[in-house]
Amino acid sequence: MTVLNQDQVRSAPTGELVLSMRGIDKNFGAVQALTAIDLDIYSGEVVALVGDNGAGKSTLIKILAGVHPKDGGTITYGDRPVSINNPAESNELGIATVYQDLALCDNLDVVANLFLGHELGRATIDEVEMEKRSWDLLRQLSARIPSVRIPVASLSGGQRQTVAIARSLIGDPRIVILDEPTAALGVAQTAEVLNLIERLRERGLAVVLISHNMADVQAVADRIVVLRLGRNNGEFTVAEVTYEDIIAAITGATDNAVTRRAQARVDAAGDAAVAAGASPDAAPPEEDRP
Amino acid sequence: MVASSGTIVAPVSSPRNPGSQSSLREANRARIVDAITHHGALTQVELAAVTGLSPATVSNIVKEQAAAGVLATTPTSRSGRRAVRVTLAREMGLVVGLHVSNRQLRVALADAGHQVLVERMLPLARDHRADSELDRVVLLIQDMAESVGTGLDEVLAVGVGLAAPIDPGTGLIATRGLMRGWDGVPVADELETRLRRPVFVDNEANLGALGEYRMGAAQGVRQAAYLRVSHGVGAGLIIDGRVYRGGSGKAGEIGHLTLDEQGQVCRCGNRGCLETLVGAAALAAKFPGSHTQVKLRDIVLRANAGDAAARRVIADAGRHLGVALAGLSNLVDPHRIVVGGELAEADEMLLSPLRHALERSTLATASGVPDVVKGELGERAEVLGAVLYAIDLAHITAGRPSDAARTTGPYPMGIAGPRISGIVPDLAPENAPDRGGLAS
Repeated sequence: MTVLNQDQVRSAPTGELVLSMRGIDKNFGAVQALTAIDLDIYSGEVVALVGDNGAGKSTLIKILAGVHPKDGGTITYGDRPVSINNPAESNELGIATVYQDLALCDNLDVVANLFLGHELGRATIDEVEMEKRSWDLLRQLSARIPSVRIPVASLSGGQRQTVAIARSLIGDPRIVILDEPTAALGVAQTAEVLNLIERLRERGLAVVLISHNMADVQAVADRIVVLRLGRNNGEFTVAEVTYEDIIAAITGATDNAVTRRAQARVDAAGDAAVAAGASPDAAPPEEDRP
Repeated sequence: MVASSGTIVAPVSSPRNPGSQSSLREANRARIVDAITHHGALTQVELAAVTGLSPATVSNIVKEQAAAGVLATTPTSRSGRRAVRVTLAREMGLVVGLHVSNRQLRVALADAGHQVLVERMLPLARDHRADSELDRVVLLIQDMAESVGTGLDEVLAVGVGLAAPIDPGTGLIATRGLMRGWDGVPVADELETRLRRPVFVDNEANLGALGEYRMGAAQGVRQAAYLRVSHGVGAGLIIDGRVYRGGSGKAGEIGHLTLDEQGQVCRCGNRGCLETLVGAAALAAKFPGSHTQVKLRDIVLRANAGDAAARRVIADAGRHLGVALAGLSNLVDPHRIVVGGELAEADEMLLSPLRHALERSTLATASGVPDVVKGELGERAEVLGAVLYAIDLAHITAGRPSDAARTTGPYPMGIAGPRISGIVPDLAPENAPDRGGLAS
């Protein structure tokens, strides 16, 4: 409930495994939406979930958000297995989701939207405290909101996105899921949202970013997980991947990621012959890298 | 805080008489000006909400500051009602400063009196490409111009800083491979066709040096060097009060000074460059255990939080930089070295080992070694330098005497007038628009 202060920003652990999904299956009747999906989420890291339409990105985060129950597989939070059956349970685990439609109340002002359902004060609503905390929060996010007392309807797209993200932080989450935060935004608003994502990362939050915009993804993400037709189709570290590799994995133009994964399994099984065949390909680029 | 042309407004809390009505009024004045600098343009009603002042106080102060020439008011309407839109008063003519570095882009829109009206920052992808980024920049500049109630036609010139040496003859990137997506792109021409405004391109460290020399830590030091330690490492040289670019634009490319003949292969194609030891990639590689790719900012944040490994990595980087700077110091003999870029945020953790190594390796003279200080403009040095560069060159090319007289103001170029020095406290990193709050 408290708005994070500077000390928490400093002490927030980073690079620690917060949540891990293994072998997640989901079907809607005859449609197999997800097949054996793996996803790891670390604190202080932005992981981008990319894929074509219908690749299963939204279904996967809806499982995390408690909208759909999973059909198979395990979710581990910290070191204990959990099941997320409804949005309330997702919230209790510290998972906050910001959907593409933002789910803001247009007729309410920024403060009312931020604290909707979590209003402060006992008998009466403590508007003064709420307004103060709203400013604190927005200032920490370096948000450009001219006033917290104007209806959300009068804000720009980027400002509305900022309010929606700020609202998700009110419950002190550990994981923030952003579904297409920059879709339908202009360049200036996109810049605002991308800066905001960097702020979240610096606070030690785990950020899951779904986006179709590769420039945005590569600008802020640390790791990119590609889904294709409901399956994992490659996982990349942004520092080591090119735009072309990602597009290839998204469209299936290459079977690289899949064969690499198969290769890894074979290697793990200890097939020496295959391992020897693969190593000359892998060696030269590592030597070149400074 | 912010000075109008001529008068300097006292700082927020006047030391003589804190809590007095006049110091309170000064504080309120500063809050209003800060709010407008942060948001671009606001109506009086919004100003009251942002600052928490009463509408009457806002109205009074705005009226007073408008008369003093600090703020400008224009009638507008807000949700169907009449309102007063408040912006910073600006001198005729605008310039754009653009800084494209390896992982981020910064644009500042300023008036000809060096006052930044709006500023935007955008994180960039690794190996970003010129065509798509230039398109975005144009949209961003248009948007920023609209946010202060004007258009592109008022822009006199655009200054661009790129993270690679620029050949002064051709305006192209002189060394291939340093900004892969921008190699061989005539950036000035490309932007000119998009914006229809004159565009001038230079190396980012040169512009950072210009920024710190005119309005930052190197003011009045006619022999100075600016070291930018960020994704890559570069230096800008101020020699006899002018930026020295060299024959092909690579003067000051200290990041590619060879420190270890047998070292790692650098992205420039040589071996053992300074950058293979202290560049962002090299520093990140020092944290192999961490799961995530460590960014430069992460290292600084960790070091500030007391992480011993991060502190050590920064100190080692300082030592390498000191050795390289000793060489630079022997060759061009600056009086002061200003350190900027993202790693400079580590402050003394970087600077004291740097000074130590510099003192050990440089040739001692009677006047001692150059003093090493942190830049005053923080990460904005380059973009502000780009603004200054654009103003300088706009005067030469525009050549309309009336304009020139108006825009130059009472102070000849190169000498910091009260307006410039007055605005410097505002430009300190903790107040920078995009880096407020969480940055410290």
